[in-house]
Amino acid sequence: MLEIKNLHARLKDGREILKGIDLTVNAGEVHAIMGPNGSGKSTLAGVLAGRDGYEITEGSVTYQGKDLLDLSADERAREGVFLAFQYPVEIPGVNNMYFLRAALNAVRRQRGEPELDAGQFLKAVRAKLKLLDIGEDLLQRAVNVGFSGGEKKRNEIFQMAMLEPKLAILDETDSGLDIDALRVVAHGVNNMRSPERAAVMITHYQRLLDYVEPDVVHVLSHGRIVRSGDKSLAAELECKGYAFLDDVA
Amino acid sequence: MVTTKPFLETFDTVHAGEPDWLLQRRRSALARFGELGLPTRRQENWRFTNLRPLEKQEFAPGDSVSVAATAIAPYLVEGAGHRIVLVNGRFDSGLSKLDGLPAGVLLASVKAIVSNDVPGFFLLGPQIFGEGTEEAKQPFLALNTGAALDGFALGIPAGTKIERPIEIVHIADAASPLSVNSRSAILAGEDTKASIIETFIGTGEYWQNAVLRVQVAARAELHHVTIQDHGSEAIHTGSTTIHLAEKSRYNSFNLTVGGRLARQDVYLAMSGADATCAVDGAYLLRGSQEATMATLIDHQAPGCKTREVFKGVVEEQAHGVFQGKIQVRQAAQKTDAHQLNKNLLLGERAIVDTKPELEIFADDVKCSHGATVGDLDEAAMFYLRARGIPEKQARNMLVEAFAADAIDLVEDLRLQQHLRRHLDRWLAGRPS
Repeated sequence: MLEIKNLHARLKDGREILKGIDLTVNAGEVHAIMGPNGSGKSTLAGVLAGRDGYEITEGSVTYQGKDLLDLSADERAREGVFLAFQYPVEIPGVNNMYFLRAALNAVRRQRGEPELDAGQFLKAVRAKLKLLDIGEDLLQRAVNVGFSGGEKKRNEIFQMAMLEPKLAILDETDSGLDIDALRVVAHGVNNMRSPERAAVMITHYQRLLDYVEPDVVHVLSHGRIVRSGDKSLAAELECKGYAFLDDVA
Repeated sequence: MVTTKPFLETFDTVHAGEPDWLLQRRRSALARFGELGLPTRRQENWRFTNLRPLEKQEFAPGDSVSVAATAIAPYLVEGAGHRIVLVNGRFDSGLSKLDGLPAGVLLASVKAIVSNDVPGFFLLGPQIFGEGTEEAKQPFLALNTGAALDGFALGIPAGTKIERPIEIVHIADAASPLSVNSRSAILAGEDTKASIIETFIGTGEYWQNAVLRVQVAARAELHHVTIQDHGSEAIHTGSTTIHLAEKSRYNSFNLTVGGRLARQDVYLAMSGADATCAVDGAYLLRGSQEATMATLIDHQAPGCKTREVFKGVVEEQAHGVFQGKIQVRQAAQKTDAHQLNKNLLLGERAIVDTKPELEIFADDVKCSHGATVGDLDEAAMFYLRARGIPEKQARNMLVEAFAADAIDLVEDLRLQQHLRRHLDRWLAGRPS
């Protein structure tokens, strides 16, 4: 589904953040990417989602046979790539429902499915709301405006559930969540698991992995994947900390 | 060139039958205009406004024409109860709708009052064509006094509440360049309540010079929306003067989307204690449009409140200007006045000039002002696009949210929805 080869990326100021990432994610798999602050985790997520401000200097990213880096951010999303933001953006004046319907219909057009009218959309929304324990009132507000940290993260997962992406990239979706919210979010992610879909979870902590069991765990350090393994690697990191990586790297 | 010549040539014909005092007043006003000439950019209050389109060409007084009902239909407010339509500045009785008003309410054409066809004379001298010192300094006002043939007059007797909005449609139809001078007045008596919406539209090359005087008596509440959606070749100059008596409320919204050159001046005086006003609006400009919103809110009495919010969206090589001044006189203690002008600058050649001003002579007041000019929020753009929304649609959503934020301040929901439709229409015309 996703094949990243020797990916190098730098910021506009010239600082190189990704220094040769190789990563293959197959349909049906969940990968976790762990690593200390500044290792390049969020840059990787941003590069995959098409955020501005990075320059790709080397390497390639192939998604479902297409050159992902050739697509704009919105094209990627319509092709089924979803980024759950570490810091969901507040957009005053844009109603959450209006926003989500525009997004869903854009994705549906791409898939050759008919657009949903307001009534059909509301029906679809209600079915997913329950899943994530989100009140309908949240949807009547402007996108993320006045949402608590937990509400924002839940809203991300709710959007993911509505848009049904093929490849979900979760950028520290677990950070700042209390245990109940974490369970709800994990439940939402687990519900999305299927042989046709894949997910990349970026996280600092093993905690999320207790609820969403990854197939592969990677450790990112200084812009490279320095170790990959099964979920026991996460447990090892949790007890030894990231410091030991310096020896490996 | 704007000269008084074409107005003097037709003077005797078009003003035949008017009372002597009015004829005299008109003649001296035209003479005054001749002395003043057009404002120049050397005058501080006009330094951002480029009046060259007015200088390049003569605008003869417009002849009377008729327009089809379909020309105004798309601009009418759903649920409006009463309507005056002025075509090239003249009352059109076929398109207007004056019935069904509460007893005692005067809604009429100014011409009908001048010719004594309607008993509204009490409004004429003091309110509509009343002497004011302003026109000694304001050329467009002086010209209007000299040349205006018609307009609308609304008089609401004390204690009367008018449920449904009253709409005024100013439509111009210019086969060749012409000028339209309209002169109007609203007198809201004590303890009254009304909503009024004025819409300016038209086709061809014309110059609308509109003067409106508003008086809101004690404890009255007036909602006033103005939509300037002139044709793309039009020039608009507007001067609105509002006087608020004690405990009155005046809520206004000005939407400017039309014309190639537009200038709206607002002077609002709060002469009675504890009055409240909202002077809000939005200008949405593209192409090579230029629009200026110039306001002066004059706090003369204690305990009054002002909210002024103007939002500008300026694209391509358009030019938007906001000059807003709130003046708090020494007697106006306990004033609560806040002014905000926010602009989205969306073209590399687009220009915004903003000049928010506070002038305070009282010491116990709460006042603030501010202005911003910026681009769309990049983080918000990425967020929308990361959900699959195409770039143009995402930009439209953010622009809509930006402008709607001001429109949502309009309390009368019927008028608010009407403004929203204008905004949608404008957004639909955005280039990709």
